[in-house]
Order: sequence, then structure tokens, then C-alpha cells
Amino acid sequence: MLSFNSPINEEKKYNDLNIIEVEPIIKINLRSNKREFSTKIGKILSILPPNEANTSSGNEKFNLLWLSPDEWLIYSNDKEMSLDDQTNLEDKLFNEISKLNQGAVTNVSDHWVMINLNGNKVYDLLSKSCPYNFNDFKNKKGSVAQTIVNHINVILHHKQENNLNLFVRRSFSEDLWLWINDSARFI
Amino acid sequence: MFIINCPYCGERDQTEFSCGGEAHIERPKQPTELSDDQWAEYLFMRKNIKGIQFERWNHIHGCRKWFNVIRDTSNDKIHAVYKMGEKPPIKSL
Repeated sequence: MLSFNSPINEEKKYNDLNIIEVEPIIKINLRSNKREFSTKIGKILSILPPNEANTSSGNEKFNLLWLSPDEWLIYSNDKEMSLDDQTNLEDKLFNEISKLNQGAVTNVSDHWVMINLNGNKVYDLLSKSCPYNFNDFKNKKGSVAQTIVNHINVILHHKQENNLNLFVRRSFSEDLWLWINDSARFI
Repeated sequence: MFIINCPYCGERDQTEFSCGGEAHIERPKQPTELSDDQWAEYLFMRKNIKGIQFERWNHIHGCRKWFNVIRDTSNDKIHAVYKMGEKPPIKSL
């Protein structure tokens, strides 16, 4: 059973920058290199997994992020999604994919913490300690980047202009949260 | 510090990658017939030349895929990047 324990649970507001942890959100990791995989995901989620690197696909309910040529991350947009619905989704994916040897389905809801960064100073903040070149990323809606911020592995998902979701591993989340808030004071 | 063009993700900073050492080292077909010295040669001994070197790299903070790089160790100039299992686009320079 998922516990969604979080070390953060607060919202911070600075000039031109709002930071909040978004939870509880279901996150599921998918791995497969089989041909039928895409169609199965399409049937279950009504979204096809993106094949193009550093992109995502999505609808009102879910986002599907490209992580590598054979790995994707699903996350829900709906904080109100009931635990039953989450379990049903996971079971459906597991039965259609993992059980039939079409790939691997892993629930990583407790593994990743999702932090929403919103405001004009988002990229100023990240650029303080991130080697990634955001020039293309910030102009393309739905872009995905896996990189390091303050030496911590993160996944960045561009939602809208100056609004992105940052995924960080739970054990690193408090450290990154403290760094973000410390750095946000000086931008 | 230099830029590496990951064959999956595109151009990224070197800090996102980890070097896996010399590439194209073949595992001996009959390991049981090797002497300890020959086995140690296969396991541990690597070239560390000044000049063009064929290396394996891993995009460890990105897509986590392995690939090959042809790099000049004297100036970090990258001559080619190619996926695992592919033949080197350049034999030697």
C-alpha cells in the first residue's frame, strides 16, 4: 500500500517564483522494447508513448514522459484520483504488460517526489546549478529533460510557459527543496 | 568540461556522463583455458594512451544508456559517437 509520505508538504512564494510539492500523484514506470507495447498502452491510457527523445504525450488525465528508448514514466494530473482507481490502473497495466511478458510495470509513486515550479524566474533558478541548456526546452511545450540540479538527478517536464514539474528521488527531495529555497532568495 | 552528443538524448554536458573505459575488448571464448596472467590482462589491463582512444560512456544522469565514443585524450575532441553493437565509423585516425 502506498503511503505517500513526504518530507516537504509546504508551499513557498518568492518574487516571480512559486514552488509547491504536488501530491499525492500516482507515478508508474514502464519499460519495454516490444512492438505491441505501444498499442497496449494506447488502449489503456488513450495516449501513445512518445518515441521521440526528450518529449512527452498526454491528455487531461495522464502524462507520459520519454525517459529512454525503452523507458517511460506515467504520472497523473489528478490529485483527487481515488486509491481504488490508482490500484485498478496499476493492476490493468500489470496484467496487460508485465504478466504477458510485454515489458515491466513498476509503481514508483513513493519513489519520486513531484515539485511544481512556476514563475518567470524558473530557469534563472535552475541555471544556478544545472548544466542543461534550456534554450530549446523552454520554448517547446511537453519537453522532458533528465539532468542534474545541484548534483541531484532530476526529471524536468515542461507543462506550460515558465511552469514545469520537477521529479526528484524521495531521499534527495528534502536536500533539493532546501537548496531551491536557499537559491530562490537570490534571484 | 566538454559536450558529448548522446546518441539518444542529444548534446549534454560531460558532467551528466560517466566514462566506462576502453571499448571493444572481447571476452575470451574459452576463459577456462587461460592462464591467470592472460585472465588478468583481459580483466584489468587497459590502454591509457595520449591521442585517439575508443571508449565506452554511459549517460548516467540521463537516459542511462551505454554507447561508444572516439575521443582524443590530449584535447578532449570527440571524433565520433556510435551506439553499442555498431561498428566504429572511423577505424583509426
